[in-house]
Amino acid sequence: MHMADALLSPAVAATMYVASGTTVGLSVKKLTQDENTQKLPTMAVASALVFAGQMINYTIPGTGSSGHMCGGMLLSALLGPQAGFLSMAVVLTIQCLFFADGGLMALGANIWNMAFYGCFVGYYLIWRPIMRSRLFENLGAEAARRARIIAASIIGCIVTLQMGAFSVALETTLSGITELPFSAFCGLMLPIHLAIGLVEGLITAAVLTYVYAVRPELLRDVEVSEEVRKGSSKSLRTVIITLAVAVVVVGGIFSHFASSNPDGLEWALFGNEEAGYSANMGLDEENFGVSSAVSETAAGIQEKTSFLPDYAFAGSDNPMGTTVSGIVGSAMVAGAALLICYAGHFFRKKNA
Amino acid sequence: MIQFDNVTFAYEKGKPVLSDVSFAIEKGETVGLIGANGAGKSTVMKLLLGLAGPGAGNKGVSGRADGKIIVDGEEVSPRNLSQIRRKLGFVLQNSDNQMFMPTVWEDMLFGLLNYGMTRQEAEQRAQKVLRELGQEKLRGLYNHRISGGEKRMAAVATVLAMDPEVLLMDEPTSALDPYNRRIVINTIRKLPCTKVITSHDLDMIYDTCGRVILLSEGRVAADGPSETILRDRGLLEANRMELPLRFQQ
Amino acid sequence: MSQNIERSIRDLREMDTLASGDSPLHRVSAGAKLLVTVVYILVVVSFDKFNMSGLMFMLLYPAVLFAVSGIPVSTCFYKLRFVLPIVCAVGIFNPILDRTPAFPLGSFVVTTGMISMVTLLMKGVFCLMASFLLAASTRIEAICAVLRKIHVPSMLVTLLLLTYRYAAVLAEEANVMTQAYNLRAPGQKGIHYKAWGSFLGQLLLRSMDRAEELYSSMLLRGYHGEFYYAQGGSSSIGDVLYAVSWCALFIAARCVNLTQLLGTSVLR
Repeated sequence: MHMADALLSPAVAATMYVASGTTVGLSVKKLTQDENTQKLPTMAVASALVFAGQMINYTIPGTGSSGHMCGGMLLSALLGPQAGFLSMAVVLTIQCLFFADGGLMALGANIWNMAFYGCFVGYYLIWRPIMRSRLFENLGAEAARRARIIAASIIGCIVTLQMGAFSVALETTLSGITELPFSAFCGLMLPIHLAIGLVEGLITAAVLTYVYAVRPELLRDVEVSEEVRKGSSKSLRTVIITLAVAVVVVGGIFSHFASSNPDGLEWALFGNEEAGYSANMGLDEENFGVSSAVSETAAGIQEKTSFLPDYAFAGSDNPMGTTVSGIVGSAMVAGAALLICYAGHFFRKKNA
Repeated sequence: MIQFDNVTFAYEKGKPVLSDVSFAIEKGETVGLIGANGAGKSTVMKLLLGLAGPGAGNKGVSGRADGKIIVDGEEVSPRNLSQIRRKLGFVLQNSDNQMFMPTVWEDMLFGLLNYGMTRQEAEQRAQKVLRELGQEKLRGLYNHRISGGEKRMAAVATVLAMDPEVLLMDEPTSALDPYNRRIVINTIRKLPCTKVITSHDLDMIYDTCGRVILLSEGRVAADGPSETILRDRGLLEANRMELPLRFQQ
Repeated sequence: MSQNIERSIRDLREMDTLASGDSPLHRVSAGAKLLVTVVYILVVVSFDKFNMSGLMFMLLYPAVLFAVSGIPVSTCFYKLRFVLPIVCAVGIFNPILDRTPAFPLGSFVVTTGMISMVTLLMKGVFCLMASFLLAASTRIEAICAVLRKIHVPSMLVTLLLLTYRYAAVLAEEANVMTQAYNLRAPGQKGIHYKAWGSFLGQLLLRSMDRAEELYSSMLLRGYHGEFYYAQGGSSSIGDVLYAVSWCALFIAARCVNLTQLLGTSVLR
């Protein structure tokens, strides 16, 4: 689910950086207030653990393929939402810097898609309410807790991964990168991540029930006093209702757009396409004060050829001329790049 | 320098780890702390460092302690813990847990900077220590890239950079090859400060320590010159130990 | 299956070997390199999705850096295996959905969809090369020091530093564990589901104990909530020059299609 830089426009990337950055800031503030210095090494080792844990293959029974774990739910169950979020953010940063997994500019979006949902949504809306609820009470106290851990892990991983996948689709579409309609993009992303989420949920559940059996004090909210439970049996209901309403509303809006007009969402998100697709690039042009020649002509042609309103023509007044000089220029740049690389190689050899 | 007066300590009530332990270590002495697994060696270290017992205060695994633990004339307590820790240097058995910075060099500077040295002073000090140990090559290396022997020397270097008055070492020669083990032994012998070393490597203890304290089930079973204790087969075997290899014929 | 972990460990080692190297690029201050990298990526990504020729000019930056630093290009391309599939998956729909003809190339008609796909791939590769060059020429302590300087919270930076250190330690441990597992479970591709919990769980519990010992070791060396980072020296004139000239070139390339200009001047 790691996004690459190329899939984001600067505006969307910056927005996601602000969103993730604010969450980081608030989390740091909350943790500093708690003044628990012991937490820092625990967080570091936990994020290193997630890092290592992600490399392990888990055989999925009956399929011959293998799954991995992502770690958001695991971290928030161990460390709580704020510390879990920071740990996950750091894992993603290291993957971005040293493994080229994701990108420097997409880091904000990746932190949001993977760490925010997994830790904050996963903890406040799923883990804690389920742990405090009276679910599975008929199984007996011990078994009920284990069942709650399993349920929270699986539901949490599925829900947070769906949210992440939805965000990936939304961010890419908003960036104007793909011609693929948003609804189709979601149709591809969500089912895949449903399966991934299920496997991840099972792995997380297995790990957490093991930890519960051996060292229950490491998990948060597992032992809950009767008073808290009384007070929060309502809250689980509230959460479920809120989630359900949100899903229905969001789903309704999107499917309405998707069905009334296949490209309806883009229309809704980017404003009137008739004005030229450069509308969605608005921010870049503001930043750099220029609109490229191509986009201007494209907009012009679009207006004339209204039967192809969505598509642009990469031509100009003198299409062949610019194309040829573009090709020649590109070839020269590529040649120069090669030459530079060889020259560097040559001089180093000479010096060595 | 270090004094235990009738110290009894238990993590859980009714299961004492140390019972009525008393000893005193003078300045400049090198003392080997030996005993079977679970005899209480690491607990002695933890009590000294304030990681457990009276120094740790009420939080964490403080446990219940009776008796007095005195370092350099002061009783260990949460109040004076930072002064006491400043005087003690602890080399952990697992160097990976000791060296938490990416590079050896940053690790050496860590403690110095925490005690308010400027970066320049700290760097000079660290450089001097590396030179004295003959380990200048470690300077630019990453902690996760160095061999077991280098790790141990680096861990010793980070602690020596702090210029401790007492050096506490937990199994300094475990998992080292004979060559690196010899380097560590020679290094220990050269250091002038007070040293307390726990180990099962009795040959190393014999090479480095003039005096040995033998713990057994939380009590001091023997305390005296290593020359007598480490040659006393009966005493050692009664306490689940063996003679050093060199005396076994 | 432990190959997976071994490869990651090797990747990590390769990066810090490269970062410990010495070259003119390695000697540029981390702050200048970070700034240039960020500006480069921003400019590359902001290129219009049909402006392939304009984007082409940006290839010169990684080419120069690879040449100057001596960092092997092959290592970088090996890393593309993570990023390119995703970019391809997204880009592949452009030529299918957008078949507007752009220009003929002999008897073959190039469509705008093809152009936008190639542009997307180029963006993906360029951005990756830029990030890779930064990471391969800058040591982690230097990056952390810069992050502290631009007021990234100390908790986050310290966490990054400690995680970097223990990622290597735990990956090694996980590697030994999977090897031990494989030796007793020949022919299995991964961890059997019956061991899912205990396998990572064991590592988790040991890691938590490790965290405790690590914390003691920090306390014993006077830790009181703050890590100190190298000041990294104030930026020299060379660093400023490095940053300013690259940024100016990037912005020029973004405003004017330099590739096209080059081509026109040659054809004339």
